Amino acid sequence: MNTEYKDRNLITIFTKGDIFSKLSFIFCGLANIRYGQVIKGSIFLLLEILYIVFMAVKGGNLLHDLSTLGENLQGMAYNESLGIYEMQQGDNSMLILLYGVMAIVITAAFIALWNFSIRSGENARKNKETGHHVNNFIQDVKSLTNENIRFLLLSIPVAGLSIFTVTPLIYMILMAFTNYDSEHQPPGNLFDWVGIENFKTLLATGDRLASTFWPVLGWTLVWGFFATFTCYFGGMILAMIINSKGIKFKKFWRTIFVFTMAIPSFISLRVVATMLGERGIFNVLLQQWGFTSSALPFLSNATWARVSVIVVNFWIGVPVTMLMVSGILMNIPGELYESARIDGAGPFTMFRKITFPYMWFVTTPYLISNLISNFNNFNTIFFLTGGEPHTLTYYKGAGKTDLLVTWLYKLTKDSNDYNLASTIGIIIFVISAVFTLISFSRSNAMKNEEGFQ
Amino acid sequence: MKKTVIGLNLIYYVRAAAGAILSFICLFLPYISRDGSRSSMVSTALDLLKAQETSKITFFVYVAVALTTLSFICAVFNFVKTSVKGMKIWQAIQVVNTAFWTFLLFASKTILEKAGLQSGFMNKYLGIGFFLGLIATYFALVYIMKVTQTNRGYIILTILGVIWMFPILWILLTALRAEQGYYVGYFFPHKLTFQNFIDLFSNQSVLPFGRWWLNTLIVAVCSCIINTLIILMTSFTLSRTRFKGRKGFMNVLMIIGMFPGFMSLIAVYNILKGLGLNQSLAALVIVGAAGAAMGYHVSKGFFDTIPKAVDEAAIIDGASRLQIFTHITLPLSKSIIVYTVLGSFLGAWSDYIFPSMLFGDKQSSYTAAVGLYWLTDFRRIDTYYTQFAAGAVVVAVPIVILFVWLQRFYVEGLSGSVKG
Repeated sequence: MNTEYKDRNLITIFTKGDIFSKLSFIFCGLANIRYGQVIKGSIFLLLEILYIVFMAVKGGNLLHDLSTLGENLQGMAYNESLGIYEMQQGDNSMLILLYGVMAIVITAAFIALWNFSIRSGENARKNKETGHHVNNFIQDVKSLTNENIRFLLLSIPVAGLSIFTVTPLIYMILMAFTNYDSEHQPPGNLFDWVGIENFKTLLATGDRLASTFWPVLGWTLVWGFFATFTCYFGGMILAMIINSKGIKFKKFWRTIFVFTMAIPSFISLRVVATMLGERGIFNVLLQQWGFTSSALPFLSNATWARVSVIVVNFWIGVPVTMLMVSGILMNIPGELYESARIDGAGPFTMFRKITFPYMWFVTTPYLISNLISNFNNFNTIFFLTGGEPHTLTYYKGAGKTDLLVTWLYKLTKDSNDYNLASTIGIIIFVISAVFTLISFSRSNAMKNEEGFQ
Repeated sequence: MKKTVIGLNLIYYVRAAAGAILSFICLFLPYISRDGSRSSMVSTALDLLKAQETSKITFFVYVAVALTTLSFICAVFNFVKTSVKGMKIWQAIQVVNTAFWTFLLFASKTILEKAGLQSGFMNKYLGIGFFLGLIATYFALVYIMKVTQTNRGYIILTILGVIWMFPILWILLTALRAEQGYYVGYFFPHKLTFQNFIDLFSNQSVLPFGRWWLNTLIVAVCSCIINTLIILMTSFTLSRTRFKGRKGFMNVLMIIGMFPGFMSLIAVYNILKGLGLNQSLAALVIVGAAGAAMGYHVSKGFFDTIPKAVDEAAIIDGASRLQIFTHITLPLSKSIIVYTVLGSFLGAWSDYIFPSMLFGDKQSSYTAAVGLYWLTDFRRIDTYYTQFAAGAVVVAVPIVILFVWLQRFYVEGLSGSVKG
């Protein structure tokens, strides 16, 4: 049986290993080849050669260009041999940045492979030395279904994440430190590194951008808290009513409310948005019923729109909480209520002293993650108001109900201010990270993942 | 009063009766009061009988008057001869009565204007008699229910249920409405038709809605199979095996998840362009699958609850890890698999941002979400509103059926996600 040695790091392998181990720091897989794993070692070596060739031919340039983000501007250049001016293809800063990031990711992957090959070689050496069995290639492949199953099962997810999530993410993070805005659009124009300039303009007081950013951030926080807590308490109360004794057809009632949750949110939100319009059915009916004589500005007045958004979110969010809470409510020991009743507690006291503390204790992590997802609740705002009503006091495009995420979306889609969008993305990340840390410090869920096993 | 009847809680009888009597008195207090002209509910009912032209809903007033009187009689009758049956009848009458008083809040304007009794009527002109009566009927209903020991939650559930179903009912009715256009001055269509649905799928239609729907179905089915596999694989590995870098990997996933997802769509778009996949449905599936691993939490939380001893026993019997995964863990996790499938299907079915960015103006590859959003643009909404509604129904129905059918699994998954 192949034994794994875990008490090693790269330095001890280098100092304690033999000449093959040391050489395999330069020639990947050498130790593997020496100690009987010829195919495995050759694959390592081949991949190393491929990487070196790639870097020599292409990657080196890519990494070099990354530092300047292109120098040749597109434009007319004089072609001496022909004696005419002709259109010259300039550098495309955006592609340079993207390819550069790809080169970085490939390099990171290679470093991981290098690290892995050294450890693998050391393992083979140790096994040979101590007289253990050294796996041949077929046995190695077989071990993929057993002790090394992580390589089999995680390879596709990791590859997918690296290509379509990590690479784009690094690309966008780097973009926050450039001036890739609407005035620096490749291929017609170049953009360049500007350091933390974007953060400064966004956060500095007095600037027009900052006077958009802070109110939008404020509304994002207000919205997050209202959206989370209205739905939380609403859902809890609804679940308590449905689950209380003496209510028949519990399933029927639950289904009625689940309807709003089952309908894809883009549909229900678009429908409600059309209903709330100036000539929408709500205004028509309110006038017909005699509640108001003129149309109410549900979505066109800043304050009205903000309240409408929260109310509509309530309509959509309450069923989710209701379903979730139903399960937890049943876990509260019935004796608690029984003895409270004997002591003369009313329903309100029981809620305040038993139900709520219990729920609060169990659901705090959920509540915080819900808060974070509400800060980033793109769907509700985008489909309902699209961030409107617009205001002249805000920087291009941002409206009074815009959250940071919807503003970010508008900056990328409508005004092409990618640098600002990325900067906002990083700020959103910081906000989420802070709340997640708070959540972790309060919950033990991460620590006792083996509690049940 | 020292009477006792089994099954009734007679302490509350006095309050219930007081409510019923008060609402009866309110019939003679001013219902309308405007510009010095006051008239009670009873006299309004008499006026309506004499009026030339009346609306169909005029009977709301008659019914409210009749039922309030009946309820008053019931209150007196139950005082003389209290019985469970009598109380139940009283309660039934009061339920209908309350409903009609509530309807009057919405219908008064129409009734009075149609009958020519008041023009330009607003609800603020409703008199003290009406509002006091409304409160009194609810008050009476609550206390009658207390007497019969019925759960008062029904009142709240009914009201909330009506509010919750209102938009859904509206979109259903709009989908069946024969009169085209966004703006209509009434709730119930004058003429019902299936034409909107037929138009949507007919070949002559300007909108390739059938195509959109099919696109969505293809993407959703593919995504749901691939994403489920990836999520289950990831969560199994992270839950059931221990290796160096496992915690690190989980932390990386968490950090990635904290960035707003569509921030990087521009880069994804360029990468897809480089691969020659832009504007194709395959791109949607691939990008969805690539990010699927980040949704591993719920199923990992579930796998964590399967005892380790099961795995150990299997290993002693010579099973490989892969066999444990396919033969032991998966069969034990039916509910979480259904939850994951449902979640992935729903996610792909209603995804909007990425497809809209990916396809731009290439209408033939739109998914239903992009197409429907395109229809509600203010330039098109008047022409296409009823078709939009029909489309919304067609898109929503499969999901609603799936959801209501598989609700149980969804709840299990949700409760699981709370834990960890």
